[in-house]
Amino acid sequence: MTRLLDARGLEMTFRNGDEPTPVLRGVDVQLGAGELTALIGASGSGKSTLLSIIGLLLRPTAGTIEIAGERVEGLSDARRTLFRNSRLGFVFQSHHLLPDFTATENVAFPAAAPAGRLTPAMRLRARELLVRVGLGDRMDFPATRLSGGQKQRVAIARALMNRPKLILADEPTGALDRESADQVLTLMKEVNEQDKATFLICTHDSLVAARCGRSTTLQDGRVVPTPARGE
Amino acid sequence: MTVFAFTVARRYLLSNPLQTILLVAGVALGVTIFVFITALIHGLAILLTHQVTANSAHVTLEPATRIARVLKSPGVDTEAVALVSTFQRQQIREWRSTVALVRLQPGISSVGAQITGSAFLLKGEASEPVAITGVDPDSLDDITPISTLLVGGDANLEAGGILIGYRLAGDLGVSPGQPVLLRTERGVDRLLAVQGVFKTGVQTVDERVAYLSLPLARPLFRLPEGVTNIEVKLTDPQGARPLAALLHGATGLRATPWQDKNLSLDEALTAQAQTGQLIQMFSLVSIIIGVASALVLSTYRRRSEIGIMRAFGVSGAFVSWVFVLQGLMIGLIGAVVGCVAGYGLCLMLEGLTKADGTPALPIAPEQGGYLAALVLTTLGAVLASVAPARSAARLDPLEAIQQ
Repeated sequence: MTRLLDARGLEMTFRNGDEPTPVLRGVDVQLGAGELTALIGASGSGKSTLLSIIGLLLRPTAGTIEIAGERVEGLSDARRTLFRNSRLGFVFQSHHLLPDFTATENVAFPAAAPAGRLTPAMRLRARELLVRVGLGDRMDFPATRLSGGQKQRVAIARALMNRPKLILADEPTGALDRESADQVLTLMKEVNEQDKATFLICTHDSLVAARCGRSTTLQDGRVVPTPARGE
Repeated sequence: MTVFAFTVARRYLLSNPLQTILLVAGVALGVTIFVFITALIHGLAILLTHQVTANSAHVTLEPATRIARVLKSPGVDTEAVALVSTFQRQQIREWRSTVALVRLQPGISSVGAQITGSAFLLKGEASEPVAITGVDPDSLDDITPISTLLVGGDANLEAGGILIGYRLAGDLGVSPGQPVLLRTERGVDRLLAVQGVFKTGVQTVDERVAYLSLPLARPLFRLPEGVTNIEVKLTDPQGARPLAALLHGATGLRATPWQDKNLSLDEALTAQAQTGQLIQMFSLVSIIIGVASALVLSTYRRRSEIGIMRAFGVSGAFVSWVFVLQGLMIGLIGAVVGCVAGYGLCLMLEGLTKADGTPALPIAPEQGGYLAALVLTTLGAVLASVAPARSAARLDPLEAIQQ
């Protein structure tokens, strides 16, 4: 399996006044292309920080990151922005849809904004993605008129818009009821299997982790062996 | 980048119509004030200028002032001084060619050669000093529309009579058709009939000015050929200064624009214009502050949206454009609405009249500075959006999303 993500020796220390607060202490993460991996750990274990570093939203204190064969930890802000747009997809706990836009426009936004215009091809792809996530009948609905589960499915479609290499999901089901959460997980699994898209899903929910192919566990900023299912 | 940024900006403005309407209304109000003040100041300047220059020339050409000169000769110890003779009457001998030259200049309304001088008008025991103006009867009204100001008699100067002001007529106790004795500064006496009596409304003119025909004035002031001055009227009185400078250079004559004869008015108009500019500047500053504060609030309200855009790779430049374009649209729409409202207000105020039928306000609706209002307001609004736009573009996506 081709290696898509190779992060080594990641360290992150925040400063709380004069007091240094280490959050990641030499984390190594490797993902193969097409894997669906859960990043699990308790609150404060450093999951979200690790996801933000891999998503180029945060610079690590130390360590290296290689995504799709490209070293990215030292990229300039402008290059990081471009990289995020072309290679990465994000799904957050809150859908973060733009309330003044329709579902189609929200999905197409990551392609339209850098291009400067929303082309018919972009609109078509956005609509295809919405059909795929089961929202074919909600394509022209304003984001504000969608339910929580529907919004999160639009967010997944938006993450797929630019055909990213790696999709990073931070507690994607955390704000959903069990049924909606199940639909969202099923959807991500389908996309993973059909498109061979690589997912790294950050969660503290063991049921979510159980539906992923493999798991990486963080504890106190370090990767620790993942407990066997049922432990 | 701008097409989609424009779509986003427009959508943001339409998402809160009431706030946008209030914002545009605020800008429009500022522009309306700008237009009103500009039209009022221009109207007032036009009125005052008209009142001052309606009955007088815009540029007066007179013989150059004679100055005593020191005559130096190299190698000669003694100095010679050229004395100014005050015995010889100063006059413009080549006045016909000068008048022809003036007529060739652009923006000339009329040109009149005159002989002016001092005299006394005598009637019985009454004796009143008077400033005589000898004019070509055919162009009597070119500089001062005397015939339109007559309150008695007629303006036919070819008949050999004299036109006097109604105050002077009252002081002398004469009316049209009655004779008066004119005694000029050159010691020439002539019995003249009062041809007409005028009323300009300017006390000094109505008390001390009289008109004769130019041929009649020549022997009275012993000027068989020349004239004492050439009066020039322009279509735009504001062109007086440059024309005076040009004519002085071309003819060597002393050329005096009307502003130099009315320095206090000129200063008052300048001060008034400066006050107007100050008010216009304050209007503009209030517009900028209004737009900037609204966009700062909008930036704050949309922090998480900006954060998510930045997270999925939308550039800071795009985010900046969204806010700059909002400023541009607010400024442009507000300026257009303000210009239309300002023009309407000026038209309405122009129609208001006092009890005597004269305009209540000296307003010039067509001179509301519309282009300046449009350009300055739009630029101001764009300028006002730059700081919020930059702050939006610099938002840390992670921080914004976590909020």
